[in-house]
Amino acid sequence: MNNSSTNASTTSTTSTTINGGISTPNTGLKNYFKTPEGRYNLHSEKSHPSTLLHFSHGKSVSQVTLANLKEKSASTTPTSSSGYSATSSVRSAAAKLLGTSNGGRALSFVGVNGANKVVAATTKTASIGNSSNGGSLPMANFDGKGLYIIFNVGDTLYIGDLNTQEKDPIKSINFANSNPVCHTFNPEANAKDGHDLLIGLNSGEVYTVSLRQQLQDIGKKLIGAQVYNKDGSINNSRCTSLAWVPQGNGAFVVAHADGNFYVYEKGKDATIDSSFSLIKDPTHFSVAHAKSNKSNPVARWHICQGSINRIAFSPDGTHLAVVGRDGFLRVYDYQKEQLLCGGKSYYGAILCCAWSMDGKYILTGGEDDLVQVWSMEDRKVIAWGEGHNSWVSGVAFDPYWSPPSSDSTGENVMYRFGSVGQDTQLLLWDFSMDELVVPLRRCPPGGSPTYSAGSQSSQWDSAVPSGTLQPAPCMRDVPKLSPLVAHRVYSEPLSDLIFTQHTILTACREGHVKVWMRPGSSESISTDSETLSSSTEKTPIPNCK
Amino acid sequence: MGAAGSKLEKALGDHFPEGERYFGLENFGNTCYCNSVLQALYFCVPFREKLLEYYEKNKNPADPEENLLTCLADLFTQISSQKKKTGVIAPKRFVQRVRKENELFRGYMHQDAHEFLNFLLNELVDILEKECSAAKDGSENSSEKVANGPRNGLANGVQKEPLVTWVHKNFQGILTNETKCLRCETVTARDETFLDLSLDIEQNSSITSCLKNFSSTETLNAEDKFFCDKCCSLQEAQKRMKIKKPPHILVIHLKRFKYIENLGRYKKLSYRVVFPLELKLTNTMEDADSEYSLFAVVVHVGTGPNHGHYVSLVKSHNHWLFFDDENVDMIDEAAVQTFFGSAQEYSSNSEHGYILFYERLSNETS
Repeated sequence: MNNSSTNASTTSTTSTTINGGISTPNTGLKNYFKTPEGRYNLHSEKSHPSTLLHFSHGKSVSQVTLANLKEKSASTTPTSSSGYSATSSVRSAAAKLLGTSNGGRALSFVGVNGANKVVAATTKTASIGNSSNGGSLPMANFDGKGLYIIFNVGDTLYIGDLNTQEKDPIKSINFANSNPVCHTFNPEANAKDGHDLLIGLNSGEVYTVSLRQQLQDIGKKLIGAQVYNKDGSINNSRCTSLAWVPQGNGAFVVAHADGNFYVYEKGKDATIDSSFSLIKDPTHFSVAHAKSNKSNPVARWHICQGSINRIAFSPDGTHLAVVGRDGFLRVYDYQKEQLLCGGKSYYGAILCCAWSMDGKYILTGGEDDLVQVWSMEDRKVIAWGEGHNSWVSGVAFDPYWSPPSSDSTGENVMYRFGSVGQDTQLLLWDFSMDELVVPLRRCPPGGSPTYSAGSQSSQWDSAVPSGTLQPAPCMRDVPKLSPLVAHRVYSEPLSDLIFTQHTILTACREGHVKVWMRPGSSESISTDSETLSSSTEKTPIPNCK
Repeated sequence: MGAAGSKLEKALGDHFPEGERYFGLENFGNTCYCNSVLQALYFCVPFREKLLEYYEKNKNPADPEENLLTCLADLFTQISSQKKKTGVIAPKRFVQRVRKENELFRGYMHQDAHEFLNFLLNELVDILEKECSAAKDGSENSSEKVANGPRNGLANGVQKEPLVTWVHKNFQGILTNETKCLRCETVTARDETFLDLSLDIEQNSSITSCLKNFSSTETLNAEDKFFCDKCCSLQEAQKRMKIKKPPHILVIHLKRFKYIENLGRYKKLSYRVVFPLELKLTNTMEDADSEYSLFAVVVHVGTGPNHGHYVSLVKSHNHWLFFDDENVDMIDEAAVQTFFGSAQEYSSNSEHGYILFYERLSNETS
């Protein structure tokens, strides 16, 4: 995949200019990679002061959240609004911004797909931000807008400015008692309190805060936070994944390491503890609702034994994908609180998942080193991506990529997706249903030999109380995909991946983020408003036909 | 000791598994290599059961000759029949026996746990085979041993089939070494049995990937050509290893001690190699992908090959336990991850998974 140059980092012209921000003691790491559409160059790195010890509460894996801060004042800009109309008006604003109807739809689930993946979704609405606040320290009257990244390292949450090439974070927030381990951002946040950032801790505690408010403060403490599950009073196991409910009016979902997730609603008194009935059978799925409708959380879903590793809402918010330690992907109808479908990994836990923009496919990755493509229509695994040499820790569809030959018939839909793994590699994949080589199917032992399309669709909308989970397929039965590109990103295992309009962000477990410029993008990811508007002419979700 | 025991009992509370014993093993001067392997084997339940069974059958033998097998059976029985649920046991007789049998383990030097495991299993096989042939020669009062005799019966008559002891039944698998001569394209297949797989490791890889590399095709050329019987000469060839028969207990040894030529000595590779709690062997010749579950890990602690410490992680009744000589503690399943290794060469973390024990899940067809 890489060209024939030497092991030493090849310094391209673009990167030399940036090298001030890039410390590369790692030899053998290239600062570009090539794809059929062109070359991705390393634009900048975001990191944290490595001299500090962050491990007062043990190590934790860095996750990255992308946040798109819009104009500050609710009344002065069309992109924000007040009260109930918040969501819809943001959506329409975004649709306007993106110039497509799809854009509105895309935006409506922004920031809701589970911790980070989702964040990828967030980005798609924003062209990479402006440079209004280039690398400066937080200011009391901070009114920046644009793209920021939030990442956790040890007991600290860092905020980096994606509008500049500045390596150091512009803000760090210390957590005294426990490590922050997951976070997600919701650009549609209710304007009333502006709480748009959700942070989950190792202790099980959850905080909501306003990102802007954090940037306005120069201290190292969380400002104006609302705490939920204080001292782990409802659940004291680790938070593993968070998601804002799409168009949920500030409702959010918090998954824990003990196989439960909780639904919280905004504005309900977090100090009144909810009591839930005991889980009668931990091997079975159950949903319990809070006895008091004033308390928070309002519901507890018991999913599985062992940890939930990631949750992600489908773009339209109707479905919720949950993956975990037991190796199952489970897809629920969120409103009906019912299992729709799901299946087992080849083996081992599933560590990450992400939806396609059209809600038709789910990617998962896990301890079998495979990237799994799950089809909602077929309700089964339709492809395995083989290429990682270790566990797959992050997956995401690329919502900005468009197939080279624009076959506008819409018959053959192509998708681009990416995955990162503990093998330190970023892999990019192209996938099209038509090009899958389906192995001759033997009768699966003990199962029905075929999936009949008829029965499938009839089952699809039926009110069957629970769906069924597929067993692990045999290696020989599943079509295989090979990666288009394999690029070694860091010397550390990778933990996260985000696609933005102009870049790909990769993060390693230790909290270093690399920003890769897409081919053809301008030299700087910081675009002013004019380039912003011009760039929005690009269809943001080409694969969504 | 008592305090530690009660702590574990307290931690397990009502969940303390019925009839199970968690005992630390006393260290007799650098015998942690032995202790860590013994714990892994003790919690290899099918192996333990066979050994306890063996002890019952041979409790009062006519000739009370002591060997490694009887010492091990003795030790396991001693542990399993303890009145207390937790505590410490001194495997004194067993360690003495090991030192008597093999001068390698006689000194008080740090030893390699994998070498020890290998020695122990092979020794047990030898003893069982000897007993079996002795039983066949003479008396008939030992029906158990006959039951463990050749699987294919004695149909072959004079031709002596290799014995399949219960050690084999637990640990033995068969590899097929396929070599294809690149000139005449003849494929030569040779079967080899194994009691464990020794895998080369790479930085930031997984066991899955190491197994894949193990079975990947290798070209024999230059200095390393293959003598083709058909061509009657040295030829370039392609070689690959396939698992023909997956074992019931899959023991994977990570080659963390590597001879570095320009240093003239062994070096420990602290590479991060992740191992899943469930694993499948894909490159087998059997139809179904056999699934395994991790139940024990022998961990090497330290930076070099000639010193350090061994501990073991063991899964028993869905709880993970940490055995460090005398000490036994409960650990979280998630803590197994801390023994994967280091992504960077220089790291404060020096506790690395070294030998992995997987048991084949019974619901798989075999």
